[in-house]
Amino acid sequence: MKIAVLVKQVPGSETALPILGNHNWIDEEQVSFVMNPPDNFAIEEALLIKERTGDGEVVIVSMGPARVQKVIREGLAKGADRGIHLEEDGQIQTDPLSIAKSISSILMDENFDLVLTGLQSDDTGMGQTGVLIGEMLGMSTGTLAMETDVQDSAIRVKRELESGWFQWVKLPLPASISIQSGLNTPRYPSLRGIMGAKKKEIKVVSPSDHQTDAISQSIDKVFVPQTSKQTEMIEGNADSAVTRIIEILKSELKVL
Amino acid sequence: MIEREVLELDVLFVGAGPASLAGAVHLQRLLRESGQNASVGVLEKAGEVGAHSLSGAIVDPRALRELFPDKNDQDFPFEAEVSEEHLYYLTETRKIPFPFIPPSMNHHGCYVASLGKLTRWLGEACEKDGVDIFCGFAGTELLYDGDQVIGVRTGDRGIDKKGVQKQHFEPGADIHAKVVVLGEGTRGSLTKILLQRHNLMDERNPQVWAVGVKELWQMPAGIVQPGYVAHTMGFPLGHDIFGGAFLYGMKNDIWNLGLVVGLDYKNPGVDSHHELQNLKTHPWIRSLIEGGKMVAYGAKSLPEGGWYSIPKLSISGAMLIGDSAGFMNGQRLKGIHLAMKSGMLAAETISKALAENNFTESKLGDYEDRMKSSWIRDELWKVRNFHQGFDHGLFGGLTNAGIGLLTGGRGWGFKNRLTSEAGHLQLEKGLKKDRYKDLKFDGTYLFDKVTDVYHSATAHEEDQVPHLHVNEPDICITKCAEEYDNPCKNFCPANVFEMVPDGENQRLQINFSNCVHCKTCDIMDPYQIIDWVPPEGGDGPTWINL
Amino acid sequence: MDILVVLEDNRGSLHRMSKEAIAGAQKMGGSISALAIGVNADAMAGELSGVDLTEVITINHDLVSSYNADGYSDVVSQVIKSESPQTIVIGHSYQTRDFMPRVSAKLDIPFIPDIISMDDGIVKQVLNAKLNALVTTSADQVILSFQSATFSEEAMVTGSCLARSIEVNLDSSIVRSEAEDPFQEDAGDVDLESAELIVSIGRGIEKEENISMAFDLAKVLGAEVSASRPVVDSGWVESFRQVGSSGQTVAPKLYFSLGISGAIQHVVGIKGSKNILAINKDPDAPIFEIADYAVVGDLLDIIPKLIEALQTEKDL
Repeated sequence: MKIAVLVKQVPGSETALPILGNHNWIDEEQVSFVMNPPDNFAIEEALLIKERTGDGEVVIVSMGPARVQKVIREGLAKGADRGIHLEEDGQIQTDPLSIAKSISSILMDENFDLVLTGLQSDDTGMGQTGVLIGEMLGMSTGTLAMETDVQDSAIRVKRELESGWFQWVKLPLPASISIQSGLNTPRYPSLRGIMGAKKKEIKVVSPSDHQTDAISQSIDKVFVPQTSKQTEMIEGNADSAVTRIIEILKSELKVL
Repeated sequence: MIEREVLELDVLFVGAGPASLAGAVHLQRLLRESGQNASVGVLEKAGEVGAHSLSGAIVDPRALRELFPDKNDQDFPFEAEVSEEHLYYLTETRKIPFPFIPPSMNHHGCYVASLGKLTRWLGEACEKDGVDIFCGFAGTELLYDGDQVIGVRTGDRGIDKKGVQKQHFEPGADIHAKVVVLGEGTRGSLTKILLQRHNLMDERNPQVWAVGVKELWQMPAGIVQPGYVAHTMGFPLGHDIFGGAFLYGMKNDIWNLGLVVGLDYKNPGVDSHHELQNLKTHPWIRSLIEGGKMVAYGAKSLPEGGWYSIPKLSISGAMLIGDSAGFMNGQRLKGIHLAMKSGMLAAETISKALAENNFTESKLGDYEDRMKSSWIRDELWKVRNFHQGFDHGLFGGLTNAGIGLLTGGRGWGFKNRLTSEAGHLQLEKGLKKDRYKDLKFDGTYLFDKVTDVYHSATAHEEDQVPHLHVNEPDICITKCAEEYDNPCKNFCPANVFEMVPDGENQRLQINFSNCVHCKTCDIMDPYQIIDWVPPEGGDGPTWINL
Repeated sequence: MDILVVLEDNRGSLHRMSKEAIAGAQKMGGSISALAIGVNADAMAGELSGVDLTEVITINHDLVSSYNADGYSDVVSQVIKSESPQTIVIGHSYQTRDFMPRVSAKLDIPFIPDIISMDDGIVKQVLNAKLNALVTTSADQVILSFQSATFSEEAMVTGSCLARSIEVNLDSSIVRSEAEDPFQEDAGDVDLESAELIVSIGRGIEKEENISMAFDLAKVLGAEVSASRPVVDSGWVESFRQVGSSGQTVAPKLYFSLGISGAIQHVVGIKGSKNILAINKDPDAPIFEIADYAVVGDLLDIIPKLIEALQTEKDL
């Protein structure tokens, strides 16, 4: 069973986010980076599937500048077997279609049985990469998997639907599945794992070997959300406050 | 019996700060040169190198130049060379320049730097050199064979707030090493154990401490001059509290503004965070940050005791370097170069010890000999009585320092060694003086503690036993409330300790999740019942360029 | 056509987010058609007979009688190819995330998801909603999905439209998945993240015995209960109810806060709320800076009266 796990390195949620002078994106020099938290669950699920099926290979795939090798190594330290780094130069890529085309071109020859992704990335949050790649490589696709069950040449996934509903779907392999956060408890890397990660292979693919030219959508600028709130001060005693609140709930918010 | 992973290393540095990292790089070089093979590892409780590093800082490049003789100053990750420097005495409204800057406070030829940036850079050099840095692992126990240290145990993970193992419980690992080098930084927790168990502070002055609190301010372009340096005394601390403010110009239009407060004041109501906010009410300071946005906050204690507070530096199997050993020049406000040099000297001793396979106390004692004949000693000897002079207030301290310049460091002109008391013992019982009556937090320039803590980006696994162990909590609601009015709620810069109503009484609430790992509580609690131990690995602040 | 709105079947009737998508499309302007797929397509079309649309296209093929990603993505792609809409619009639901990227890849049309505003260009949230981003495309066609409650179903413009059923060619080999019946699972912990109405308790509740007041209010409103950190730390409510930087992030239609000061650690967890109604004794409480409705008063006085008045409303 050959499993690819797509991971992304994103700005840490704790950092302040300074915007670039041209407002195109944030100043990445001034932020700290972490493994995209949802991807942790995808890595863990891949490792569990490998352990359950008894054999196989887990490959960590990431696209970005040199610094993303850190998250690839984190995956390797947890137990993945090798990594693939699609090098990016210049500014962050934000077009899901071209990102998916780049990654698909590299995954194609490896014939993975499974491609796992996290729910979405904490930076651009497009939430499409796994499904796009699945389509481009002719794989079956499933999303928001709360549980996986690998069978002979198929995988059953428990899809999360809205409002507390779920559904089991059986998909033939090869399949591309996005993993819902919280379905497992990601393991910590062991000391040995960290030491061993240095010796595992990370194949580096240069930009010219994977980049596609056509960009179909882009982020023109980022800005702080405007809170142009008009606060209505409700004055008076408790009784008049209650009257006004009822009116708001009933007529304005329509929640009664 | 819990089964633990066991890792065998030759040398383990605890704490990925400048001392350990410089030591590791130097050690690898010495090993290469002598044709030796040894495994060197560094343990770091933060999730990333640099995340728990905080300092001013102005760095004396001396040690870096020694460590990397092939590099130029431009290759080092500094913000800028010190371009102009000022020393002011502040009153509530005025700023009075000192007529001249004493040579020891002259930072000419030094560089404004962010310790976080420097540490990350050193970390990369280490990893390139084949050193394993284990981030997210806290050293919680020393492993012994008799009286010889043989390794370090890392913290367990996955224990809930009641002390019960959770589903993903993972026991800590035992790292065996021939030499354990403690570079835990200020008030190291394993260091504390080592000092006590082996009486390493015998015949020394007790260590005295200060706490530094700082904020980074993002300014509009063109206002901040990288390399600008200003230090102040006077307002807001006054003459009875040791310390002063610093203002450094960093790259990217950032003002680095902080306050150092000596942790040997008398008034239990002193709150270093509030003092920093007060500092910003000074018209000059306020004008500098006008139009800016506070983007980061942090705090860290510093060892101020100087030469006579440095412990015995090694025992069988273990050594102390950097701030853990108290290598800081309080007068120059510099310790990073001393930390690095101490790591390098330790590496020299270790290289010899490995060659002879001898890690006894006498063999490792070679490190202390080296230190005593190095420029660490030259530098610290001259200022050996600096902090102690301030026991007589600001002018006393300055006078003492001045005379010290002339007499090569003698206290009051003739005393070779001034003694002093531990800072927490100086708190005066029953003293109530509210220094912050008029302090108002506007949320734009002056912030309440909780808001500042948010900007320290600190986070902890919520479901764990609080890592601040209060060994006799009854004292909090009885004796301490009566004698000192619970100074913990004041001296902690992160709002970890709160006295909250509990029916008719009060109880101590520990918001451990706010902790920025400064160690002030461990230092300053008057009854010494607070033990700071490392929380789960990876927990704590996420500082980038502090 | 200018806009094709792809509808979603929510167990027999039109999904709320589909109605919101129609309202959004109408605001964008132009000729709008809707697409209903599956065994309930006619019913969904019927629900829209009084709405101002060009038409509702209905498709009910065996292979897409109920939802599956393979079939839906193929059918929607076929319709886009034959009808050539300039813009395809849909609500950003779980189902949309499951199949719409397939359409995007099949037809090489960019998919801009989870949009929160179309007023001044296409805006979506990025970096955990800390910032907003203006997204642009130079493609001829684009797929847009709208975040829940970006538009309001009440804003659907009335009119009339007819349904038109079309046939599609679908090879059985296209549908590779085998789906079992959907089922419900016990909620267990309360799902604050998707709750529409939340009553939240802060330190101003003062005592543990007052907590029940907040739960009573929540009950009569049909809301979930959350709390700020100090209340959880005191042990007065379960920790899964904590909202804030070290708790849950919520985005309800109404966040009704009782005695919460509005410290930044809490506020970051509620920024996505569409409406904030705050009661606090302290007129300087920071919560009032982000509240839509601010009541400066004693919640211990107001809440019991409010509960009584709400009961009366209910009984009417």
